[in-house]
Amino acid sequence: MSRFPEYSHQKSREWFDRALKVIPSGVYGHLGPSEGLFLPLDKWPLISSKAEGTYFWDMDGNKYLDFMCAYGPNVLGYNDPEIDAAALEQLKLGNCVTAPSYKMVECAELLCDTVDTADWAFFMKNGTDATTFSIMCARAFTGKKKIVFFKGYYHGNDPWAMKADYPGILPEDVANNIIVPWFDMEALEKAYSETNGDIAAIIAQPYDHGNFYDNRVSSHEEWQRVRDFCDKHGIILIFDDVRTGFRLDIAGSDHFYGIKADIICFCKALANGYNMSAACGREFLRATASSLSFTGSYWMSAMPFAACIATINKMKRLDTPTLFKEKGTKLCEGLKAAGREHGFELKVSGEPALFYLRIANDDSLMLHQEWVAECVSRGLFITSHHNHFINAALTDQDIRLAVDIAEDAFSVIAQRHPEIKKI
Amino acid sequence: MIEQKALAYANMYGVLGALENLCQIDATAKEVLKTLKSKVSLCLSVKDGPCRTFHFSKEGCKITEGSEGCNCKMNFSSPEKFNLLINESKPGMPAKGMIKLLSFLLGPFTKLTDRLTELLRPDEENLKDREFFEESTILTMYTVAGAIAGLANSDSIAKISAGNTVDGDVLLGIKNVAYATIRVKDHKFSVIKEKTENPRAVMEFSDIELANGLFAGTVSTINEMCKGNIALKGMISMVDNINRILDRVSVYLA
Repeated sequence: MSRFPEYSHQKSREWFDRALKVIPSGVYGHLGPSEGLFLPLDKWPLISSKAEGTYFWDMDGNKYLDFMCAYGPNVLGYNDPEIDAAALEQLKLGNCVTAPSYKMVECAELLCDTVDTADWAFFMKNGTDATTFSIMCARAFTGKKKIVFFKGYYHGNDPWAMKADYPGILPEDVANNIIVPWFDMEALEKAYSETNGDIAAIIAQPYDHGNFYDNRVSSHEEWQRVRDFCDKHGIILIFDDVRTGFRLDIAGSDHFYGIKADIICFCKALANGYNMSAACGREFLRATASSLSFTGSYWMSAMPFAACIATINKMKRLDTPTLFKEKGTKLCEGLKAAGREHGFELKVSGEPALFYLRIANDDSLMLHQEWVAECVSRGLFITSHHNHFINAALTDQDIRLAVDIAEDAFSVIAQRHPEIKKI
Repeated sequence: MIEQKALAYANMYGVLGALENLCQIDATAKEVLKTLKSKVSLCLSVKDGPCRTFHFSKEGCKITEGSEGCNCKMNFSSPEKFNLLINESKPGMPAKGMIKLLSFLLGPFTKLTDRLTELLRPDEENLKDREFFEESTILTMYTVAGAIAGLANSDSIAKISAGNTVDGDVLLGIKNVAYATIRVKDHKFSVIKEKTENPRAVMEFSDIELANGLFAGTVSTINEMCKGNIALKGMISMVDNINRILDRVSVYLA
């Protein structure tokens, strides 16, 4: 007998149906069902009404303990009073103004003081803006064309970062992309030699946190080999820290792995949900960064800068990377034990701050999807083939609740699958 | 861009591949088969392209890879020439069993392919007939499934999707009506026109009307997925990649 009654989503569904009439696929992209994350659909809330701390509520008033954190931006808790106060204070003073606010300068100074590799900061709005800027910077500096990616890469939605079989993408858009297995130095040397050295950059996330497979963390030694390779051949090393940034190390994930990237891209955790992104780089790329024709209408708006300053300062004060590691580890240990109790082997991979889950009893993810759906429909918002996120508002009581709901959901699917034997 | 070699695979595995199913479910096709005096095993061999043998008997049609067991054969000097057989009914060069081949080509084969075309390119009037509508939709599903496999192994864009697809069976089907299994092994695709017992991923359309709308392009896959009318489960990355190949099928067989 389930201890947590299932939610119903009638009102949320009505709102989603309204959305479907006026927005392609209702909610497009990773926050909606079109990417196959909400299976089966009727177990998911789809549209929210409000959020606070580590929770959000759907249109039916159901409350969700949220481990997706808006896919990363919620780093300190939704509606963090300190961050919101800083943002609102700035809003009263001015936001999108002809002459950018001094807050932009303060924000850049803080990033340069905080991020190990940063001699300068360049601001934009989305992770894709930051990665695109970095690629342009690398090409402009080196005068070379090719970009090396590590297998399973994701660096945003601009055509250069996609694949030729995606709708709307031309083979020409990705003709200069070279894909190699993670940290395969032979493949890197081969690519360099086959292109006669025409490689502008290597772009990679700090570790392989792809979808549909167990995430694989990196090591200092692996990154050092890549760093040395780039130095040897004059290739720009770009760290895409959009997802992981500030969750592993306040000084940047390259610092976490003991190396220095040439450019590092931030977005999600940068301003606790206020819309901005940044690329930070080393001194030798400053002039090149200045030379790029790259800007946008809202890129120098002041309110997000104020939020960013407050967010970074609070993350430093709380030492969020340490906090996230502790909380993530505690949560994942609890989830694994809950699974074991009912015969499920829950595999946890990746860094604890961005843990990835998979029930390993079958290789199709079907059992995993069933469990995730039962968790979500009881108020524990997790997902079936993407890494999760920890935020600083998460308490030990929340972790206990998460484990309780997870255990309850395991019991539901254990009943449905009598073939699963207790371990 | 359409590549002629890939089109030949789409035609061989998709369009002509549906002959198997036509002979199984269509009354007109069954009548045609009854007129066969003996078994005909017709091999269609395309230079630098596919080669398959279609075994016709009073009981139905079975398709095997290669030319083994054929008693008549038609060679095509290029994928382009083979594609003309599908698009303009231009035959290839007889290479074996010429008399049997000619009488079969001019008689039963033409009747079967004409009937297949009627069902795969239906006019509005015919679709009002429920039986025709159902047959047309089911045959289209098998055609699409075959073409997915054909293109995954040959079209340069679809091969990228195939290259990112992990091993396993994907069950594709119309709920309680018809199913096909797309089997992936080392990024090579094949189709088994029945339900697999252990799919690694499932894409199931809620009913035949929806399936017809999706194949005809009158409804959106994403929208229907968002409405919950397409049931998905399992290794969704496999379905994602198959959907991308499906986009290529639309380009090739539109």
